[in-house]
Amino acid sequence: MPSMNPDFLDAHHRHWDDAERLFEASRWANADHLYGMSVECGLKRLMIAFGMPLTTSGDPKRDIDRVHADQAWIRYETYRSGHPGGAGYSLPTTNPFATWHISQRYAHQSNFDQSHTNIHRNGAAIVRGLVQKALIEGLVV
Amino acid sequence: MTTFDQVIPVITDILRSYREALIRIGGMIINRDLNGRVRLIVSKSVQEDAISQDLLTAIADLMAEHLGPHAFPPEHAVLYEADIETLLKDKPGMPLEDFPAIRFVDRLATESDWATISTMTTRAPRIVFYSLKGGVGRSTALAASAWAFAQQGKRVLALDLDLESPGLSSALLTDDRQSTYGITDWLVEDLVDNGNAVFDEMVVTSTLSREGEIYIVPAHGRDPGEYISKLGRVWMPKIALTGEREIWSYRLRRLIEALETRWGPDVLLLDARAGIDEIASACITDLRANLVLLFAVDSEQTWTGYRMLFRHWRTSGVVRDIRERLQLVGAIVPERDRERYLDGLRDRAWDLFVEELYDPVPPEEDTADLWSFDRADENAPHAPWAIRWHPDWTALRSLYHHMSSVDATGVRLIFGPLIDGLITMIDNRKSVQR
Repeated sequence: MPSMNPDFLDAHHRHWDDAERLFEASRWANADHLYGMSVECGLKRLMIAFGMPLTTSGDPKRDIDRVHADQAWIRYETYRSGHPGGAGYSLPTTNPFATWHISQRYAHQSNFDQSHTNIHRNGAAIVRGLVQKALIEGLVV
Repeated sequence: MTTFDQVIPVITDILRSYREALIRIGGMIINRDLNGRVRLIVSKSVQEDAISQDLLTAIADLMAEHLGPHAFPPEHAVLYEADIETLLKDKPGMPLEDFPAIRFVDRLATESDWATISTMTTRAPRIVFYSLKGGVGRSTALAASAWAFAQQGKRVLALDLDLESPGLSSALLTDDRQSTYGITDWLVEDLVDNGNAVFDEMVVTSTLSREGEIYIVPAHGRDPGEYISKLGRVWMPKIALTGEREIWSYRLRRLIEALETRWGPDVLLLDARAGIDEIASACITDLRANLVLLFAVDSEQTWTGYRMLFRHWRTSGVVRDIRERLQLVGAIVPERDRERYLDGLRDRAWDLFVEELYDPVPPEEDTADLWSFDRADENAPHAPWAIRWHPDWTALRSLYHHMSSVDATGVRLIFGPLIDGLITMIDNRKSVQR
């Protein structure tokens, strides 16, 4: 059986790709969910680069780091601010995922529309840009 | 073992052996990351093409073999991007010799790369005072220039951008006239959208001005407060909700535009930090300066430093965007053997400018369209505007008292060529704008 340990970089990319497909197809609810997942994985990969401790299986070691997009947006700052290379990796101070919660995957799809999803799509694009920058700058391999 | 400076020649050699085959891949970026390791960035579409894949694998293997610690393992040597052009828009890098479709892009830990040159402002002229070495009277010369402009009835905005070693305001102000805030305060407050809280209290007028007005924007206020903690944050970029990134020097530029709108000066004088430094780079390349004064003493350190800088502009392909703004200033010129010293300074400067900045002049060719100057040309950028050394003008701290009693003749005696040069430059600019 293949390893099911976390690969946050790959997961970040596939969640974004699938979110975009769903967004194109106006499937707002699930696109919205996947933008959040993409952000969580992207930020966690960057948090690792900025020094977040991991278990041997590659999960965040500390409970406080085992969070979803809405909290990861804040948690990320702790690691970024503490790392000398972090100055170029800021997020906007307003958290676009403050209106996103993992439990919304159980909500009725009529709660989601394009403008709601767009906010999270833009937020996810920012994180995607930072991951791309980290790859190019050699912070993430 | 391969070291940093061999990276570009080695990679160029590797690519040269695949010159024809590389046409198939199209646009490519040679990307040198923060640690000085090199990867290739190519279009995602190449990923599906088996022939291109074989080629990239061969190149990646050679990179690992010849670049050693400056390469990635072959399986990580290539990055695929959907849109190479967008990447290049942010950071265009420089063309790789002999390969028009390939660009070399350097990723630096500093925001500034000295090679992104902003256009000149069309508002009031901005003049940067820069020296490669500290202690050559740069801030004093700025204070004297401000004084001379004000004597002419001009409104001068003087900014102390030597944030790591501020001092300009003490030359132009008494202790009891210092402002509440400074540039550092604004840069920190701006990060949390609170710049307006300090904006109106970061400028003071100097009582040294008799006819015009000298507005001073210091690095910090009367009480510097937690200066080190603030200074450590001024370099932060600001990120908009759209993800758009405004680097610190562009934030500074926004501040300067706002100060100009608020105070309506006729001329802006910027005191840059000495050395090949982040602030200096911002002042010279990012703040839309019209004129950059290069303070020089005749020392090896000076010429080596300016040579490194000029060469960087040349190899980055931006030399034409910056060179016409440069003017050499002969700093603290000694009284003894004055003429001989200035002659030597001019010689060294000319050698350097000819080698790195001026267009080469082929024999028997019309030079009308070339940007080049004779050694003896008094109006050439390499011809130093000389500032005399004088004991009364050496201590920045007591300068205010000295300047409050000085007259135009006294200032001209020391700073004459500088002041004349600046006034001519501003007058010429006005007549061009008319």
